[in-house]
Amino acid sequence: MRFLMTTKGGGQAPDEAMYAEMGKFVEEMTKAGVLLATGGLDPVGTRFTSSGGEVTVTDGPFTEAREAIVSFALIEVRSKEEAIEITRRFWKIAGDGVGGMQQVYGPE
Amino acid sequence: MTSWDAHTAVDAVWKLESARIIAGLVRMVGDVGLAEEFAQDALLAALERWPEGVPDNPGAWLMAIAKRRAVDHLRRAERLDRGHERLAHELSVQPDPGVAEPDPADGLDDDVLRLMFVSCHPALSTRARAALTLRLVGGLRTEEIARAFLVSETAVAQRIVRAKRTLAARRIPFEVPPQGERAARLSSVLEVVYLVFNEGYAATAGDDLMRPGLCLEALRLGRLLARLMPGEAEVHGLVALMELQASRAGARTGPQGEPIPLHEQNRGRWDRLLIHRGMAALLQARAVGGPFGPYVLQAAIAVCHAQAATAEDTDWAQIAALYAALSRVLPTPVVRLNQAVAVAMADGPEAGLALIDPLLAEPAMRNYHLLPGVRGDLLARLGRSAEARAEFERAAALAQNGPERAILLKRAAVLPALPVTFGPAVAAFLDREGLDPATVRSYRKTLTRLLREVGADRALAEVTAGQIAETFAAVWGRAAAATWNRHRAAVRSFAAWAEAGELGALLERRPEPRGRSRPMDPAAVETLLARPGLALRERAFWTLLYEHAARAEWALALDVEDGGRLPWPPRTAALLAQLIGDRVRGPLFLADRRSPRTTRDRCPDTGRGRLSYERAEYLFKQASGCTLRQLSQAGTPPSPA
Repeated sequence: MRFLMTTKGGGQAPDEAMYAEMGKFVEEMTKAGVLLATGGLDPVGTRFTSSGGEVTVTDGPFTEAREAIVSFALIEVRSKEEAIEITRRFWKIAGDGVGGMQQVYGPE
Repeated sequence: MTSWDAHTAVDAVWKLESARIIAGLVRMVGDVGLAEEFAQDALLAALERWPEGVPDNPGAWLMAIAKRRAVDHLRRAERLDRGHERLAHELSVQPDPGVAEPDPADGLDDDVLRLMFVSCHPALSTRARAALTLRLVGGLRTEEIARAFLVSETAVAQRIVRAKRTLAARRIPFEVPPQGERAARLSSVLEVVYLVFNEGYAATAGDDLMRPGLCLEALRLGRLLARLMPGEAEVHGLVALMELQASRAGARTGPQGEPIPLHEQNRGRWDRLLIHRGMAALLQARAVGGPFGPYVLQAAIAVCHAQAATAEDTDWAQIAALYAALSRVLPTPVVRLNQAVAVAMADGPEAGLALIDPLLAEPAMRNYHLLPGVRGDLLARLGRSAEARAEFERAAALAQNGPERAILLKRAAVLPALPVTFGPAVAAFLDREGLDPATVRSYRKTLTRLLREVGADRALAEVTAGQIAETFAAVWGRAAAATWNRHRAAVRSFAAWAEAGELGALLERRPEPRGRSRPMDPAAVETLLARPGLALRERAFWTLLYEHAARAEWALALDVEDGGRLPWPPRTAALLAQLIGDRVRGPLFLADRRSPRTTRDRCPDTGRGRLSYERAEYLFKQASGCTLRQLSQAGTPPSPA
């Protein structure tokens, strides 16, 4: 099963040591065949609202920057527990912040 | 911490860490069984202590406890064996377990690789290797392995115990094999990973989830291996193959679990992410270079499918070429069958059938349902419905799994059955597509007359060769030899088509005045023999008749022993050697079907009968428009040696 881990903006600013440790963690998870894809996201996104057949496009930035998703990781694991364990390890390295973890349905 | 109890937490951590923990322990104590014991101790300790609070780095925690147990053991062993020089020496060359490792990550990676080579050691059976690898490297519990492989827990436990005992008794070293044996040992590892993958891939919806879970285990093992051995093209090839196959997992079964063949799958349900990963892995394999091994070639074939937007866009010529290369490095009957399928798609069903026919003699294929399945498919595409139907029915009888059997029976049911009474059989025989109108006219005359005499409602099986001979004598007994022979040819052609080979058996060929039967043009013979996709049996038989100017009846009566004994012209000799393969007895030219008789006209190994003159003549006429006699006459008899 796959899970999408996301982090929101406004977390702890990364320093060099955290970068290095995170790099090692990413490499380790890739090697173990767990991490399928990962990336950072521009917090200044574009918002789409569809209502009654009309699609409204609004360019950012938006005021609630803390709510914007700024990074993601798609992992493939045996169980939800395993996903939790990996996400926990991620946060041990990332320090303070807020994020989520959701199961991904779809082609499997 | 919600949704996180100690058991599941320990289990999840264990599965993530087991490979490194076990590998580190094996290096310390030099024995897989002992290493696992200490790891189990650590797991028990975790179950006791973690409910009070899970450590920050649970993997390191487990490792520390297990190592402490290992150190205790080594000290105890040292005390017990003090004075025993050999053991003392062994301990002195072990790395000191008390000292922390200088670079734990790098050292552990190498240890994990060593562990995989040990758990996949060829001294163990493939099944034992798979179970042990899942247990040690994948961290699966015995019960999980048992569920995944559909065997009892006791069986798996025994398999693992025996495997550990074998490894200890054989003193298998904990090492990455040296260059000389690296390739063979690596292929043993890859075989295990692919076995695990296929075991999971074969499982369908509704099965225990542990089974499809095996695909993920295999993918993980493969991805790990690719990182540990980046210089091995076949490792990347296997990973590519598995990623690409896994990308189709969601599209390959229907709602009831019935298999959906590749060309009918909804390509929108293929997992683009895995396709992308598969292609990337294949590129890495190519970057490593060297000759392409079986996994790289299979992955390249999978990429061809993945790149086709629709089934019609598939580059079958490329796939057929890749299969040709694959059948050179991996000449198994199954690969050759797949090659035949690809060739049939690229060059037409006849070319495919020509590649399949030699497989009918393979003992390994005798109970393999896909062989008649594929043959039925190709025959159906050629409009040979009755034969196709029989093949689908045979395939259904051999198929192991319910949904597959149902599909084969459905395919058989939509095809018309072989007409069993004389009249409809004749009508179907004359109604085939692609026949020369003059031939049809001639056949029709003979057969309509025969029908009138014998009765159109007679069951074909009831009509005997004797009756046909009597009728012939009464109706055409006084006709010219050429006329008699023409009617005779019509009946024999019909009998061969309807697979009632005996019907014309009693009709003697009448000698025609000389010069009536012209030899074939040698150029035409050469063109015919060079025709691509010609079946080996036909190519060998026709070359023999032509090069040796031999009579067909004589050649068909030859046995395998004669094939090796007689002084054949070179081309014939080479083809016969290929045709005989490793057969040592039985008829030289075998029919496609098994013979119910147990005479010398039956191959004692495959049960197939001797190729009949009627069938041989029919096949040659279909291919050339000439008779076997005309073929023999085209050749020059060998000078007496």
